[in-house]
Amino acid sequence: MLRYLVRRLLLLAPILFGVSLLIFFWIRALPGSPAESLLGERATPALVKAYQQHYGLNKPVYVQYWAYLKTTVQGDFGVSVASHRRVISEIKQRFPATIELALAAMLFAVFLGVPLGFVAAKRHGGLFDHLSLVASLIGISIPIFFLAIILKYIFAVRLAWLPSVGRISVLIDMKHPTNFYILDAIIERNWHALGDVLKHLILPGIALGSIPLAVVARITRAAVLDVQNEDYVRTARSKGLPPVIVDRRHVLRNALLPVSTIIGLQTGLLLSGAVLTETVFAYPGMGSWLRDAIFNRDYPVLQGGILFLALVFVVVNLIVDISYAIINPRIRYS
Amino acid sequence: MRGIVTRLVLPFVAVAALAAVGTAGGASKALPTFVFAGASDPTYLDPALVSDGESFRVTEQVFESLVSLKPGSTLVQPGLATKWGSKNGKDWTFQLRHGVKFHDGTPFNAQAVCYNFNRQYNFTGAFQDASATYYWQTVFLGFHHNASSDLSPSLYKGCTAKGQYTAVIHLTKKSSSFLPALVISSFAIQSPTALKKYGANQGELRNGTFYPTGTYAFSHPTGTGPFKFKSWTVGEKVELVRNASYWGKKPKLGRVIIRPISNNTARVQALQTGEINGADLIQPQDIPTIKKNKNLKLLNRPSFNVAYVTINQSHAPFNKLAVRQAIAFGLDRASVVKSFYAGRGQVAQEFMPPQLFGWTNKVPKYPYNPAKAKALLKKAGLTLPVPIEFWYPTNVSRPYMPNPKLNFEAFSASLENSGFKVTAKSAPWRPDYVKHVNDGTAGDINLIGWTGDFGDPDNFLGTFFKTYSPQFGFHNNAIFKILSQAAAETNYKKRIKLYQQANVLIMKFLPGVPYAHSTPALAFQKKVKGYTPSPVGTDPFSPVFFAGGQ
Amino acid sequence: MSVAELEAHEVALEAATGGLWRDAFRRLVRNPAAILGFALVAIFIVAAAFAPLLAPYAPKEQNLLLVARGCCPGPSHKHWLGVDQLGRDVYSRILYGARFSLIIGIVSVSIGLSVGLVLGSIAGYVGGFVDTLIMRCMDVMLAIPGLLFAIGIVAILNPGLYQIMIAIGVVNVPIFARLLRGSVLAQRENDFVLAARAVGVRRPVILFSHILPNAISPVIVQGTLAMATAIIDVAGLGFLGLGPQDPATPEWGTMLTDVNDYLQSAPFLAIVPGIAIVISVLGFNLIGDGLREALDPKLRGRVGRFRERKAFWFLGRRAASRA
Repeated sequence: MLRYLVRRLLLLAPILFGVSLLIFFWIRALPGSPAESLLGERATPALVKAYQQHYGLNKPVYVQYWAYLKTTVQGDFGVSVASHRRVISEIKQRFPATIELALAAMLFAVFLGVPLGFVAAKRHGGLFDHLSLVASLIGISIPIFFLAIILKYIFAVRLAWLPSVGRISVLIDMKHPTNFYILDAIIERNWHALGDVLKHLILPGIALGSIPLAVVARITRAAVLDVQNEDYVRTARSKGLPPVIVDRRHVLRNALLPVSTIIGLQTGLLLSGAVLTETVFAYPGMGSWLRDAIFNRDYPVLQGGILFLALVFVVVNLIVDISYAIINPRIRYS
Repeated sequence: MRGIVTRLVLPFVAVAALAAVGTAGGASKALPTFVFAGASDPTYLDPALVSDGESFRVTEQVFESLVSLKPGSTLVQPGLATKWGSKNGKDWTFQLRHGVKFHDGTPFNAQAVCYNFNRQYNFTGAFQDASATYYWQTVFLGFHHNASSDLSPSLYKGCTAKGQYTAVIHLTKKSSSFLPALVISSFAIQSPTALKKYGANQGELRNGTFYPTGTYAFSHPTGTGPFKFKSWTVGEKVELVRNASYWGKKPKLGRVIIRPISNNTARVQALQTGEINGADLIQPQDIPTIKKNKNLKLLNRPSFNVAYVTINQSHAPFNKLAVRQAIAFGLDRASVVKSFYAGRGQVAQEFMPPQLFGWTNKVPKYPYNPAKAKALLKKAGLTLPVPIEFWYPTNVSRPYMPNPKLNFEAFSASLENSGFKVTAKSAPWRPDYVKHVNDGTAGDINLIGWTGDFGDPDNFLGTFFKTYSPQFGFHNNAIFKILSQAAAETNYKKRIKLYQQANVLIMKFLPGVPYAHSTPALAFQKKVKGYTPSPVGTDPFSPVFFAGGQ
Repeated sequence: MSVAELEAHEVALEAATGGLWRDAFRRLVRNPAAILGFALVAIFIVAAAFAPLLAPYAPKEQNLLLVARGCCPGPSHKHWLGVDQLGRDVYSRILYGARFSLIIGIVSVSIGLSVGLVLGSIAGYVGGFVDTLIMRCMDVMLAIPGLLFAIGIVAILNPGLYQIMIAIGVVNVPIFARLLRGSVLAQRENDFVLAARAVGVRRPVILFSHILPNAISPVIVQGTLAMATAIIDVAGLGFLGLGPQDPATPEWGTMLTDVNDYLQSAPFLAIVPGIAIVISVLGFNLIGDGLREALDPKLRGRVGRFRERKAFWFLGRRAASRA
């Protein structure tokens, strides 16, 4: 186990190195430059040339890459071309936003998906089972932005139950010690702000959670079917324990183990998967930021931001794999 | 600072607000808060270093220039200077307003004026970048020490403070377009004390990236305007508060919040839900929705733009006048303006808006006429259909071109009816499209346009046709000459004549086909009063108030 | 027939044919969800194949007179699903749009599948350094968010129909490569492969005639699911403004781009292409799901957790690439 852990940790370095190379050369292959994207009609050829010089884009590629690698290793992602702010300080603000959104999506998926999967397994082969299967597949089959737009139109614009944009009402003034607004509100004991932040998370959370919902429901179903036939469950049943107790104490608890690892895995994926949701809800997270950076040709943001997301992705996957090995000793990693 | 909630109106937060008012104590008597949405965050809050509308939207409230615009027009009126004049067209004397103070309490005077102009003139290194000092380079061309040979010698020579309240700006050449350009926020007067204290001129190049080390532009912009800067949370809001010691009419608002909502529909929806009080950049398709809503209203931004089809003459056969005329007759401009501008556009006959002096109705006209277009093409000795590569931008909505895709599709169909065979090409607006247009690599014809920065024809015609450009790919000395002559002319009446002649020349020569002047729309809650949209997009928020309280 | 009789019949059938495929097919046709999937995909393919016969108008035929009084008149007897901003018939465009979705889906999945197949089987079969090198490259590709990756590729190549296909194909490569490698690794130690090796069959022959045919079933499943994802990905790229060059192209994703703009003033413009996408994607998902269950009976009853985790890992990956 320890050897496996060390080996996996060592593997992170080449992957991240590869990602940095890929991003770097990808960026150099992009047509256009920040000058045109930032100046629009007002960009003249002379200005564009000046920009290239200014950002060192006329130096040999290996020199540029070496400079990039050196500073990145020191934890310095540079300064955004568009906002003139340090990339790292923007990540500090936007990453918590996306994490909160991903957590909201995950909570939605679990609280709806686990009961759904459980009932489907209990009625294995029945109508409910088939219906829940189709329903969960519909969840996967709707383009996320389509779902987000429809949800927003109904619940924010028509019914006016929930806010339509942003992360927090702009009228609220609050200090942000952590930039996790839920935590901030609790630290500041601002319950009004807390409620407001939560309301802003509902619609984007549901939109982003539609896919994990389907995944969680189905994995729960499979796991419950699996556990139901285990010896200890049969023993519990034959002892004459009431079915509710058996389900709660033995079936669900054991079935939730694989579910929990899936949750971890999905969270890692959601972190990177919020581009469209954030666009629809004008939510200031990593996804919409990186999308803008691609269109702006904001090289430092792309280099820093994508590398950071890749780091999060591989680390989350590592944690999931390890926790999986701990939970299920039957799986051995060589 | 938790829970400073003024009297809340927004229906959506109303319930939540009740809870908050309890904790906020007596804050409910405060002046109302105005929440306005633009498309994105400001770039920077040092107006000397930006050129985008979203930054100016904020700096316009915090800073003031020597001269300003009469609300809703492009006419120059007194700002921080009460009087100005020049005997020789080179030395301009400004009499300054007395008793004005910057937000940090330091006095506004002639020294401050000269400090600001000299500051930009002496910019070096990264500050000479086009994205940083675009308007200085547009108006004053170069710097004290030009870092790049691409820059021209400066028009600016120096500034003299004569006593407390008289500043003289010296130019190297006569200029008549210099004064109206001073209304641009980039030439606003900032507090020299704050600029120095918060390191506005500090910045370094690190690994080729400009890194501002000062905090001025992010957290300490200090001007003389009706609102003071309070905070800026990227992606969420810029917050301004009332300047209680403003020299002019004091604002009726206690707070202004400007928030970025990039998606056009999201902006309208936020207005419908009451999360914002007003929004800019309303799209034609949303206009019926706003008209139907009894709580909302539309305001017009006076038209000050032009959308046009570039014709690239470096590609044969478009160097032939008959072929360019065929294009002009083959573009169904009337239908496009009627169908896609929601009644807020007029067909453009020339490359500058009718509101500006120098416009004339005596230019040749090219109404849609497919038969005539085909005849012209045949006359030019071409076999029909004539292949033509036509470019349009994606992922963008410009004030003069709300939906480029629809304009393109309709034009493309009308050209095909007129003897052309269209090849469609597109590129995302950010970042390649404009590059292709400027480099002359955006096909034979393409869609583009311009929104004026200040009230001078040179800002339109001069920008397009004063010299050779790869975009249009033609040499026409008659046009080049008359435009340079008009820009230098100091006699107003002679200037008008010259620009009228230029417009006729241009529309005969057809370097492109102008097709629309639009009237962009803004939307507000009905109770918002006193908002006057400006043609150049820098709207003052200080006269805004709420009818019947917020 | 009683249950017992049915089972007896089944057993007899299985004995008679014995084939994995027929067995799987039988399970598949008894799965109502999969049948629904086949029906939806059949509609989709018919629309694509016979669009010129079914459509009352040409997909690019404009009629600005229809929208002269504002956008956009809703459904009428002349235009069953209304007209768009340029007065084009939405019903006709939806039918023609099926062609583009189908073509984009097939081409992009073929790209992903063929490249992934080559890389994955080489990695799995050769092993050692080659395996490590290929799979680390795949890890690198997987570590970048799928949609951002696709946007990035389109950004380099400039937007266009082919570019979109390539982008989505490339995003699919590591998924297929991992899948193939896993299957090949599993098959490599099978008796029949060991036997073939023992009698001296050459390695490429073993790979192509023994291992790959047996590793193909998960590929079919993944291929079907990837078709579904491809259609959604195209819509996502269209929504972000990276659709086909010629905007007149009746492509569903690009048509849906307007969903946001017209939801209030002309809701059918937004809803119709949305529903077309959901129906076709759902069809492929249902088939893919049914196929998985049919081809891998172990997934249905008792489930090896690790296997299940892997299966869902791909599901999750798809989620990320479209999210």
